[in-house]
Amino acid sequence: MTLDFTLNGQPVSLEGVPAAESLLDLLRHRLDLKGTKEGCGVGECGACSVLLDGKVVDSCLTPAWKAAGREVTTIEGLARDGQLHPLQESFLSAGAVQCGFCTPGMILSAQSLLSDNPDPSDEEIKIALAGNVCRCTGYHDIVLAVRRGARALRGEAPEADES
Amino acid sequence: MSRYLAPDNLAEAVAIRAQGARIVAGGTDLMISLRQARLEGQPQPELILDVTRIPELNRLELGAERPFLGAAVTFRRLKTDPEVARVYPLLAKAASMVGSVQVRQTGTIGGNAANSSPAADGVSAITALGAVALLASPRGQRELPLSELITAPNKNLLAADELIMGFWLDRLPDGAGQAFSKVGRRQAVAIARLNVAAAIAPELREVRLSVGACFPSPRRLTLVEELVMAGQPGPELWRQAGRAAATNFTDVCGWRSSAAYKVEAIARVTARTLATAWAKAGGAA
Ligand SMILES: Cc1cc2nc3c(=O)[nH]c(=O)nc-3n(C[C@H](O)[C@H](O)[C@H](O)COP(=O)(O)OP(=O)(O)OC[C@H]3O[C@@H](n4cnc5c(N)ncnc54)[C@H](O)[C@@H]3O)c2cc1C
Ligand code: FES
Ligand code: FES
Repeated sequence: MTLDFTLNGQPVSLEGVPAAESLLDLLRHRLDLKGTKEGCGVGECGACSVLLDGKVVDSCLTPAWKAAGREVTTIEGLARDGQLHPLQESFLSAGAVQCGFCTPGMILSAQSLLSDNPDPSDEEIKIALAGNVCRCTGYHDIVLAVRRGARALRGEAPEADES
Repeated sequence: MSRYLAPDNLAEAVAIRAQGARIVAGGTDLMISLRQARLEGQPQPELILDVTRIPELNRLELGAERPFLGAAVTFRRLKTDPEVARVYPLLAKAASMVGSVQVRQTGTIGGNAANSSPAADGVSAITALGAVALLASPRGQRELPLSELITAPNKNLLAADELIMGFWLDRLPDGAGQAFSKVGRRQAVAIARLNVAAAIAPELREVRLSVGACFPSPRRLTLVEELVMAGQPGPELWRQAGRAAATNFTDVCGWRSSAAYKVEAIARVTARTLATAWAKAGGAA
């Protein structure tokens, strides 16, 4: 059986994917896309977050075959034409990246939130990121980054007095 | 070569299950057990049946004469669907307290029941709603109250060739107030140490109370329900009910010193949840 899906806008077709393989193993080991991180392996850290049809899931908890016929977006797929995605820009500018291990997952969770809710409150941002653990930063700068990215995605100018 | 099949109709799914397929819905419990098995060097399943594309399992018909909740309905849908919020707010609340956005995105009510964890929040919620599981196999369909289906921690009476289609739920009386509370180890992504679901109809015509995570499986506390129905609504009654629930816990689980915290928590959280449900039914606090 062939597993066909769209990965970051490109069609992918794979033979011989075992029934029990996780989407995380498929991405990291079969496709060598190391932007998706393996932290806990059991749904608790969110480092492995990817978008499945635009919605964030933990790829470690998702069978690879669930991707069949669907659209998978990893952190590698966010930048367009050499331009960073507005959330990637805002995470950098807000200082929300230290070791960077949690960052791909954080950004994809944030993107999933913003596609549902383009103008979330800080509280809504925190709830949306509750499944993503960061061991380095306080969450303060991450929430700030999401707020900034949201404004950029809405096409608004940056706020002057960000805190 | 192992196979992963995701049929879009029930007949095919039942036939695949009958070949000994492992079922997956969201995968949020199953993928963890498969990982564990792999780390222990045990074999991975040869045949996996994904039930999430079967129309019957995605049905959500809460306004029907006999409300039905399909097994493959996700916590995300339970949290966001306006009909759930209107008909069964306690279920919407329970769903909103499950795991993380990621877990709610794929985790299903049927997986919650089939996994049969004592701490299952969805199970606790629909137990209060009188859930009766609808099961399908090559032998046909059968119904079994959820409280009988789940027999012990992570144990149930699901046959090797059966799948859960969904759950029939009771209709609650007009104006019934509903509440759900959960005590976890931390705010997010926490497995419940205690969860309580309550529904109270105006004038105490009907009272439903289920408690999970501190019993082998979530259960209705019918003696406490009767005590409340026979009482005078108010703080004293909620306190009394909380104490009765705690006694019920020590009767079932025995008293160990490690349980002291639980006894106290059960009494307090039960009282608070009943008070909230009563207030939502329009009763004075
Ligand atoms: C980080 C994390 C946090 C969590 N937090 C919570 C929480 O707060 N509260 C809570 O209650 N749970 C929690 N869980 C547990 C889990 O998410 C739930 O139990 C969920 O409902 C499982 O559903 P699923 O669809 O993912 O099941 P799956 O993993 O797909 O399946 C679970 C089991 O049920 C069987 N199964 C699934 N569907 C059917 C069906 N229709 N018929 C027969 N058998 C079936 C499978 O074969 C498997 O044995 C958490 C899990 C993780 C990883
Ligand atoms: S690696 Fe998937 S949630 Fe931690
Ligand atoms: S930046 Fe290191 S874990 Fe978040």
